[in-house]
Amino acid sequence: MPGAIRSETHETAAANGSAPDRDADRAAIAGSIGELLPALIAKLGATGLAELEVRQNGLRVRLRRPTEGSASRDRRSTDRADRGDRAARAGSTPTGPAHSTGLAPVGPGRDGREGRDGRAASPRDDNRAVATSPAVGIFQPRSSARAGTRVRAGDRIGTVDMLGVPQDVVAPNDGVVGANLVEPGDAVEYGQGLVVIEFATAAATATATAAAADR
Amino acid sequence: MFRKILIANRGEIALRILRACRVLGVESVVAYSEADRESLPVQLADEAICIGPADAKRSYLSASAVISAALVTGCDAIHPGYGFLSEDEGFADVVAAHGLTFIGPSSAVLEKFGSKAATRELLSAHGLPTIPGSHGMLRDELHALSEAERIGYPVLIKPSAGGGGKGMRMVRTARELESSLRVCRSEAKAAFGDDSLYLEKWLDENRHVEIQVAVDRYGHGVHLGERDCSVQRRHQKIIEESPTPALSDAARLELAELAARASVTAGYENIGTLEFLVDAAGAFYFIEINCRIQVEHPVTEMLTGIDMVALQIRIAAGEPLGFSQPDVSFRGHAIEFRINAEDPAHDFRPGAGLVERYHAPGGPGVRMDSHLFSGYDVPPFYDSLLGKLIVWGPDRPTAIARSRVALDELVVEGVATNVAIHQAMLLNETFLEGRMTTNLLDRVGSAAFLAAAARG
Repeated sequence: MPGAIRSETHETAAANGSAPDRDADRAAIAGSIGELLPALIAKLGATGLAELEVRQNGLRVRLRRPTEGSASRDRRSTDRADRGDRAARAGSTPTGPAHSTGLAPVGPGRDGREGRDGRAASPRDDNRAVATSPAVGIFQPRSSARAGTRVRAGDRIGTVDMLGVPQDVVAPNDGVVGANLVEPGDAVEYGQGLVVIEFATAAATATATAAAADR
Repeated sequence: MFRKILIANRGEIALRILRACRVLGVESVVAYSEADRESLPVQLADEAICIGPADAKRSYLSASAVISAALVTGCDAIHPGYGFLSEDEGFADVVAAHGLTFIGPSSAVLEKFGSKAATRELLSAHGLPTIPGSHGMLRDELHALSEAERIGYPVLIKPSAGGGGKGMRMVRTARELESSLRVCRSEAKAAFGDDSLYLEKWLDENRHVEIQVAVDRYGHGVHLGERDCSVQRRHQKIIEESPTPALSDAARLELAELAARASVTAGYENIGTLEFLVDAAGAFYFIEINCRIQVEHPVTEMLTGIDMVALQIRIAAGEPLGFSQPDVSFRGHAIEFRINAEDPAHDFRPGAGLVERYHAPGGPGVRMDSHLFSGYDVPPFYDSLLGKLIVWGPDRPTAIARSRVALDELVVEGVATNVAIHQAMLLNETFLEGRMTTNLLDRVGSAAFLAAAARG
């Protein structure tokens, strides 16, 4: 995994005072960030965690590695997003969302259980796996599988509707439901990455680390 | 005309359809399986969508995956190419039920011409002499044996769906019939998802001659000449040419006009190919109609200058033919060589793997329709066709001379091909004299055939 780490800062209630207060707060925030960030980045880099959140003095800092879906490593010469753009420029009037958004690049079959193993990049790293589409159709996440929900390998976390027949999207491993890589109602192709599943152990470690940092 | 066409096929024909769409100014989407992600049609496509895993039953043969892909990409028509779902009338039905157009005959027409046995009876009623065959599909072994007895051995076991020699066996005895039925059923099931079989009388020394027809929705039909596909290996065409050396000009014209007339009066629509067996005496028997674009369509394109795929799409879109028989002229002679990933040195074992180097031949009258490129990894899951070399000349000897040069120039390194068989054929007296029959290769055996050519 490359070391590119994005940081997001959130101003909190402390920043809502009068103008002089706000200036002081900003200075405090800048100071905290100056201290905190390098340490956190080092920590995140060392642990290989996916995400880290720290709350300190009313300041909340969350660090997150780029998700699978935003990484460029799966991009190919036949980039569908680019095609979608071309189609849009050509003045097409799509009825489905597939080519207005462009379909995301796709990994191999569901967690290597089908397709040619090891040929394409696996949608899986040390901390997470990606539930992939079992069919070409329209994706709907399962309402009971919101982000943060614990799941077991094989649990149904959504469906892809292929001509009115829902095909189950299943968790490739035990873990916690993470980010959706596509929106509900999006057209998806076979094998496309849909939902990130953080590994149970990694998720537990992350929670523990965050709790420790909170104190 | 259509707004956007889903190309539900792979390899050279997906590329061929993509080109036709571009010429017509129609957008297209290439539907592909995971095994074809890096293929040329996917790379060259305006848009492409993965419809399933390598296993064709879950991708190229899955009607729901193909139709779902067409719907989510906003297509209004599906081009099935050849093989896969192209002759599945059930598929054409479902396509229509989803408000999409199947590029081929309408489902009503396909229903009429879908069953090979029923089509034989229908076209027989419209004036075509037909080959004796079983009444309907073979129910079981007992039925097969009694039908074979009635027709008279030797008989040919044929699958109802698809073509390409898969699931096909010629048998001379009841014993052979019994032992071949199961193999044919499983081959047909694997290739077409349908294991129904029927029987046809087998003529020992026969030539395979087919007539290309085109009929629009308004009942205007023409023939686009014939193709001779007598050079086969185990019922699989490997060389096709036009005009056929088997018939005189008058006989060729008679057959073509008969086929065109029967197609129109029987209510056929879109492009189609009527296949005939021609016996040693020159008598011809209708065997079946192919309701799709065929592998060997470029032979007709070279002689007539008509873009067969564009014509097929235009007819499916409801356009009138726009020309009539006197407008069709035939020029010169064309020969097509199927370049297959098969190793003649090892009993034509199908090959796969990395194409380390590829070079397509050129020169006057030379056309190469192929999805190969240097660095392409041929997947092991599909049929072995790597491309087609089509060579045109003002006459047969010139076409043959140009073919020799072109075959020598073609480079496919890394994957074994059947090019040696083609080169040997161009040295074979029987072929050069135009006297080849469908058993030419199988009678001598390919090994002996190659050895004879090597001795010169």
